[in-house]
Formats: sequence, C-alpha cells, structure tokens
Amino acid sequence: MTTTLSIENLNYRRNLKKILTDVSLTLSGDKIVGLLGENGAGKTTLMRLIAGVAKNAKGLVAVNNETALATRKSMISYSDPLGGMATNLKITDVKSFYQRVYPDFDEQKYDQMSSFLKLDESQRLSALSKGTREKLVISLTLARQTNVYLLDEPFSGIDSMSRKKIINSIIQWKPADSLMIISDHYVSEIAPILDEIVVIKDNTVAVHKAADAIREENGQSIEDYYESLYGEADSND
Amino acid sequence: MEFDDKVPIYYQIKTAIYDRIIAGQLAPGDKLPAVRQLAVSLTVNVNTVQRALREMIAEGVIVSQRGRGNFVTDDPQIIEQLRERLITQYLKQLYDQLHRLRISDEQMIDELTAYIERQGDSNDNNA
Repeated sequence: MTTTLSIENLNYRRNLKKILTDVSLTLSGDKIVGLLGENGAGKTTLMRLIAGVAKNAKGLVAVNNETALATRKSMISYSDPLGGMATNLKITDVKSFYQRVYPDFDEQKYDQMSSFLKLDESQRLSALSKGTREKLVISLTLARQTNVYLLDEPFSGIDSMSRKKIINSIIQWKPADSLMIISDHYVSEIAPILDEIVVIKDNTVAVHKAADAIREENGQSIEDYYESLYGEADSND
Repeated sequence: MEFDDKVPIYYQIKTAIYDRIIAGQLAPGDKLPAVRQLAVSLTVNVNTVQRALREMIAEGVIVSQRGRGNFVTDDPQIIEQLRERLITQYLKQLYDQLHRLRISDEQMIDELTAYIERQGDSNDNNA
C-alpha cells in the first residue's frame, strides 16, 4: 500500500513567535522528499510535529488517514539524535533499547546496515565521531519497519565518505512502499536521490515540486533553483 | 556515475545505458542488474531508475520479462536504429555548436578530418 502523509492548515507558535503558518501539504507514494529551507526556517519543527514529538499545534496531520497520535507515531520512524541517551551506553545497549521500545524493529536489517556502515557495537556513545553517530542514527531509524521515515539533517557536518555511505544505505534499505522525508539546508549532495522537494520559507511551504520537473522545465539544477527562491526575495525587498 | 544536475536524472541514466549498449559493453540479450542494485551503483533513487527503465521499455530497447528481469533487446533492427539515433544526436550537438561559431560546412569537414588524423597519431604514440 502506498503511504500518504497529509497536513492541513498547520499553525504552530512558540513563545508568541510564529514558527509555522498555514502549512498544507500532501505527500503521496513511495518517494524520497527533500525538505529544504534556511537554518531556523522551521524544518525541524515541522518534522517534530509530523512525528508527534512537538505538540499543541493547530491543524491536522494524518498518515494514511490516521490522525490519532499513538497510531500515527507507530507509523513513523523519526531520526532521534539520541540526546536522551546516557553517553556511557554502548551501541549494542542502544540497539537493545530500540528493540524493547519498538516492536517493529528489524534486528536483521539493523545488523546488515551496521556491518555495511562498519559500526563497532562495543563503542560507547561518548566515543563516537559525528559521522559514526549519524551512521548509528540512520541504522536505528531505518531498522524500524514503518510507513514514514523522517531524517532530520542527516548530513550536517559529516565528511564526504560517510555521507556517501549513508546515502547508499538509504537507497538500499528504504522499504519500497514507504515515504521518506530528508531535511537539509544544503541540497546539492542529496539532489540525485530526491523525487520531490518541499521548501519552507517565511514560515510556510513556498514550493512543492518534482525534482526532475525542475530540471526539465527550468533547465536548472536543484541547488540553483533553490537559491533563486532567495535571490528573488532579496531583490523584492 | 557523476550527474549533471541541470538535466533530468532519468534521462541521463537512459543515455548512459544506451551508450553502453552501442559501445558493446552491454550485449543484445544481456540482463540488466536489478532495479535497486542499479540505484545503489548509480547513487540515485529507485523511482528514477524505474522511470528510465519504463522509457527504455517503451522504446523497445529494453525488454521486461515478468519474474525474470530486464534484458537488452536481441532485435538487431532496434539496436541499429538506436545506433543511428545516437550518432545523429551527437553529430547534431557538434554541428550546432560549430555552426554557432559560423564555421562553414566545408571547413567543418576539413577540421574534423584534420582532428581525426591528429587523434590517430596520438593514439599510435600511446600504443
């Protein structure tokens, strides 16, 4: 079954500050969608609202027409930065924790990714480099069998070799009928794997377009197109 | 494979596979790798590979056999038509570019002949 994520008139404020205004978006099918926008545009907030981690927003979020929080959460795997984990835990402890908490955790799949990404299960979280930590986060997130995968800036501050490995594991292990959203503020490195892009600008969805349509209709690279959205705004100001 | 991000990726995949067929790296009747395997080796999305395959199947160059996979056609006529199409396409690019530089047709032939001779020399030296 294909997955549909629908968001209707989503509004979110924090400390009287508008973070997201009237966000409406429908993503459907087994796609990889790039969620783009400047730092602070609200990408992470939108992901947290979709995942049901951030609450008290006005509006509607549904996965395959399911709006109830508990049901929705079980259909979404959100890349948790592991901030809540004690730093002296070993990778293998974190894996056991995921197995206990998530009934949909596929150990075999995790082990395949872990060996592909050369994770050392005996290492402690405190000893992990940024790239290794991100490889662990990706393995844990993709090991869950869900309808929707949310990857929040999986490539920020990561060397190009690790980046390539992570991109390869995404292509290899993303379930065929799932929807994946990857946020990033730097698009060129992930452009070849994106089906569609969604740009968050001025607290709302500014663009939702197929990546190959941008190349075909505008003759532009995704990066040039993305940057042109900001260039125009500057000259209008 | 490095992609030009200004050109639709599915189109570049198609072009790369057609080039390999005409160059003989993929022979008539050869089986293509599985979709996900192709996606991983090209570092592109599975859907993009599928779109490229759909077009190649629609053009008759790739034949899909249910449950067995995708194969290069063994119809020599289709391969020959593809060869002519690719040659024309690349010649057109060259011709249009030189034409824009206001090079006359005769000059073009002379330049091309001279260029091929020079290439031949350097190839001999390398050998």
